[in-house]
Amino acid sequence: MLFEQAIIDEAVETKFLPFAPTLSIACDAIDLKVLNAFEGLQADDGSDLVVELIDLYLQDASERIESIKLSVARADRKSLTLSAHTLKGSSSSLGARHVAEISATLEQLDPVECPHRVDALLELLSYEFAKVKGLFAVERQKRLA
Amino acid sequence: METFRKNLTAAPSRRVLIADDDPVMRHLITTIVKQQQHDPVLANDGREAYRILQSDSQFAAAILDMTMPFLEGLDLIRYMRSENRLMRIPIMLITAEQDINLMASSFSAGATAFLPKPFTPEQLQSAIRMLLGNRNATRRAA
Repeated sequence: MLFEQAIIDEAVETKFLPFAPTLSIACDAIDLKVLNAFEGLQADDGSDLVVELIDLYLQDASERIESIKLSVARADRKSLTLSAHTLKGSSSSLGARHVAEISATLEQLDPVECPHRVDALLELLSYEFAKVKGLFAVERQKRLA
Repeated sequence: METFRKNLTAAPSRRVLIADDDPVMRHLITTIVKQQQHDPVLANDGREAYRILQSDSQFAAAILDMTMPFLEGLDLIRYMRSENRLMRIPIMLITAEQDINLMASSFSAGATAFLPKPFTPEQLQSAIRMLLGNRNATRRAA
């Protein structure tokens, strides 16, 4: 199990996840070493590959999360599995490890068999993705400055 | 016969088919393929890749994601290995699955290389270099 049951239970019970992560928690959400490793692949045309990857990821991950939510609402396991799988892959490629871990768990679940766990994980996913968005935005700004 | 002779003497294709539904991965692979002086041809899912391959076989290599909408990487490998005009194209399968059985299935289906995610940029770079180099070596041997 990737998350303590107590955390999931609390999220289900309160329907609330605090969005004021401390720096240490937030930094844990992404592994910047993974992202920085792409610097070696910079193109010669002056574009910043890392910024391009961040932009593509944030756009695509937002759409995947919406697709996951829709799949859960429709109890469409096949679609949930596919969207969660792709989100897992792109998130792990850019070091967004918590989003990748939650997606990996969602990929295995049937929304009909365990609806509460899926709902709770969806909330955690939104929360973790919000952290990633914030951290990637900072990283993006630093690179463009 | 004339066409056959022309094909034998034609310059080797520098086009690489990249099929992945993840735009991050597509962009990353495209960047590396361009750095290695090859031209990427992009497909957003398995069906799109299949449609390209139906009418086009001039590829130096194919880099396919395992799990894609409509048709999976393994489906495409099986198709490519059953068509005379496509069977010599080296194929690398990329997957987020950590499954040793999947690797075995990929090789038995006809994959040339298998790269599980996550990987470092260097690993991706050298895998693509080897894939393209392998193809060149095959050509020289032939």
